[in-house]
Amino acid sequence: QTLRLAHVDPDDWTASKKGAAAHVFKNIVEGETDLTVELFPAGALGNEDELIGQAQEGLTQVVLVSGAMSKVCPAASVLDIPYTFSSATVAWEVLDGPFGDDLAAHCLEQTGLRTLAYGETGFRNFTNNTREIKSPADMEGLKFRVQPIPLYVEMVKGLGGEPTPIAWTELPNALSTGVVDGQENPVGVIYNNSLHKLQKYMTLDGHVYAADFILISDEFYEGLEPAEQEVVKKAARVAGTMGRAIQQWGTAEGVNKVQAEGMQVYSPTADEIAAFAEKAQPAVVDYLRGELGDDAVWIDNLQAAVAATN
Amino acid sequence: MVYVVLIAGLLIGAPIAIAIISALLVFMATGEAPYSLRIVASEMFRSMNSFPLLAIPLFVLAGELMNESGITGRIIAFANVLVGRMRAGLALVNIWASVIFAGLSGSAVADTSAIGRVFIPEMEKHGYDRSFAAALTAASSVIGPIIPPSIPVIIYALIVSGVSVPALFMAGVIPGLMLALFLSAYVMLTVKVKDPAPGVTSDTQSAGQALLGGILPLLMPVFVVGSILIGVVTPTEAASFAVAYALFLGAFVYRKITLTSLPRIFTDAMRDSAVILVIIAAVGAANWLLTYNRVPNMLTDWVLGNVESKTMFLIAVILLFLFVGLFLEGIAAMLVLVPILHPIAVSMGVDPVHFGILVIFNLMIGLITPPLGLCMFVAEGIAQVGMARLTRSILPFFLVEVVVLLILTFVPETVIWLPRVLGY
Amino acid sequence: MHSLNRLVERILAGLSGLSIALVFSIIFVNALRRYTLGKSLPWGEELPIYLTIYGVMFGVALAYMQDRHIRFTVLTEFLSERVRARLWLLVDGITALSGLGLMFAGHAFAVRRGNLDSSGLKSAAGWLSDTTGFETLLWIGKTGTWQYAMPIGGALLCLAATLKFAERLSALRSA
Ligand code: NA
Ligand code: NA
Repeated sequence: QTLRLAHVDPDDWTASKKGAAAHVFKNIVEGETDLTVELFPAGALGNEDELIGQAQEGLTQVVLVSGAMSKVCPAASVLDIPYTFSSATVAWEVLDGPFGDDLAAHCLEQTGLRTLAYGETGFRNFTNNTREIKSPADMEGLKFRVQPIPLYVEMVKGLGGEPTPIAWTELPNALSTGVVDGQENPVGVIYNNSLHKLQKYMTLDGHVYAADFILISDEFYEGLEPAEQEVVKKAARVAGTMGRAIQQWGTAEGVNKVQAEGMQVYSPTADEIAAFAEKAQPAVVDYLRGELGDDAVWIDNLQAAVAATN
Repeated sequence: MVYVVLIAGLLIGAPIAIAIISALLVFMATGEAPYSLRIVASEMFRSMNSFPLLAIPLFVLAGELMNESGITGRIIAFANVLVGRMRAGLALVNIWASVIFAGLSGSAVADTSAIGRVFIPEMEKHGYDRSFAAALTAASSVIGPIIPPSIPVIIYALIVSGVSVPALFMAGVIPGLMLALFLSAYVMLTVKVKDPAPGVTSDTQSAGQALLGGILPLLMPVFVVGSILIGVVTPTEAASFAVAYALFLGAFVYRKITLTSLPRIFTDAMRDSAVILVIIAAVGAANWLLTYNRVPNMLTDWVLGNVESKTMFLIAVILLFLFVGLFLEGIAAMLVLVPILHPIAVSMGVDPVHFGILVIFNLMIGLITPPLGLCMFVAEGIAQVGMARLTRSILPFFLVEVVVLLILTFVPETVIWLPRVLGY
Repeated sequence: MHSLNRLVERILAGLSGLSIALVFSIIFVNALRRYTLGKSLPWGEELPIYLTIYGVMFGVALAYMQDRHIRFTVLTEFLSERVRARLWLLVDGITALSGLGLMFAGHAFAVRRGNLDSSGLKSAAGWLSDTTGFETLLWIGKTGTWQYAMPIGGALLCLAATLKFAERLSALRSA
């Protein structure tokens, strides 16, 4: 039996979190079962929306996605509430604990896709060209490029900055011509796309934590032998851990490299982060409650789960 | 089954895009895996859902506006002053007008039709063989997509992530000029017509006028290509500036484009782009199916297992593309083969920019080879000398172009030196 | 018959020309705004892409009616006029069926996830429907609206090939 695994990140396991997760998954499953795993990296079979659709139709069996998950399972968007996770370890504890299991069960019901494990795309951080940002007051009057996603617009507004939705391909131009003063992205993205050459300051505020979802078609999963199911589950957990490790390594290396190339990097204190959270969270939570309807209960579930880790 | 439908469709003369779409639909409807028809549409949509791709219709539109605005005449006059007085002058003007035209347009077919309409009758009048004139026009218009701006380059950069349009644009400059020089040398050595090109005067005043007349159109490549190269605008935005500039020249400076002619120009541009873009879309959908069935992986494994050295690989690629170019339209060939061959080339240590220009140059030669050569068709449409006679006249030019291709292949500096020096 | 063909051709021509005119205007104005005012429209990239896709679908049908598609003529060139005329009819038939197939495929594609918001166009659509009071304008912000270019294009291609078939058939009969 063949299992097709697709994602949109590069194949290179030394630098790409989903690439690494995919290779680890393949090695474990092929080593311990009779299944054959075929990898389709780099969006070869489509973008994330399309991959989810193909998994639902049984064309692919396992897909690794991040942002697209909340489009088919809106409850997952609560993970995007800014400053929810004070560190990656908190996120791991919440996602690998009862909250993550409940969310997985809920999304399985909504989509027919079973979340085998969680990997990580990483924390997003603000960069800009005007001044070092230590508090929301420093963001006053600065224009930030955001993805054309309402949640991000609300967040930057809440922090006192001016959100400017600009498409990704236009971003380098917009930064170099001063159309916007800053932007926000994970460190790895900033370094790999040379955005640090266009920006002087970075604040490691980690406003949004993005998770990777390792999804399997439930119909396919139910058709497997119990022993195979166990291997697939285990392989996905190891794959998720591998993805997190590569992501952490990439971030640490990225911070070093952008500093070496002259970027000023600031790590805010816990109190400073609290000040950011106080401004950004209410705006986003209000917006999400309006969007989510009945699913808004997941906001409270998440907050309770985070509180339980402290 | 899918191949039967595809090949039958192609052979009976169905449009390439439609032959591909119909084969895919049949396969999705009858295949064993849980395929769904939807994927044909969603993958076609995905292949077109790209901002950089919009540079194609905009450059096609700029080209149509250029043709309408009487710029061709000015370019010819300009080239005439430069090389018209030399031996085989008219033939040289044909070649170097194409070089200038190349800076304005990204399409070889547009060049063949614009320059051919003027030159084929004119050259015959001055003692050249009509078939030779048509062959030279088609052969020299291949320069168009090598020198920037270039539609094939934009498509290549879309297929291969990590190879930038500015780097490929710069890399095409020297190969384009080399091709022009080799063609010039060939005509100067073989052509026996001694008259200089007509209309060349020793009169400095009218020569000056012709040079001045060429300046306004020539500003366009300087600004458009220049702004892409220094990275201030994306190729798509630059293409929109090219359209605006051509519109401005045609409507207000030369006053050849009127409000009543505009709708037809816009319609023709969209129709001619649609013909290219729908092939891109259909091949994109076909690539999904090939990828899903791991055909590229199998081919890659086979090539890596059987091709030992870089030289052998490059020769094999040249032969493959020359062969494919006989039958397949260049862009379709690129869309099918580049995703497979580019990773192999990189793993064999070929510079990605070098490989890109080789592929494009190689496929552009296919524009002048029968049985399917678009520039050849256009030239034949104007000259009406018959395909067999035109093929004989084209053969020496084809050989000259292959020689240039071999130099570009085995002296990589001819391609990558300029982009390197400029820091790409 | 003949006049119906010309009418359809003119409509397709108008829609094709309009698409690229809009695409050019939006990209040009948006680029100018960015370099002069430092502002850019959030839908300045997405809308031209979608309009181009519609333009391609109109252009494909138009090009079919005007026999402008890229095709192989290797084999057909050697055939007699009589055989070739019949082959054209066969191509028209295949094309009409392909158009029909694309229509179904495109419909399945556009309705499956068509209700998702298009990120760049969502807020503009919200603003339009708020200011005009027409709630239907919200559809501008949905991806399905633009994905529907595929089934519409399939239907138009089917129509173009059918009309071409009828035209060629009547020419064959009268000859
Ligand atoms: Na060119
Ligand atoms: Na020429």
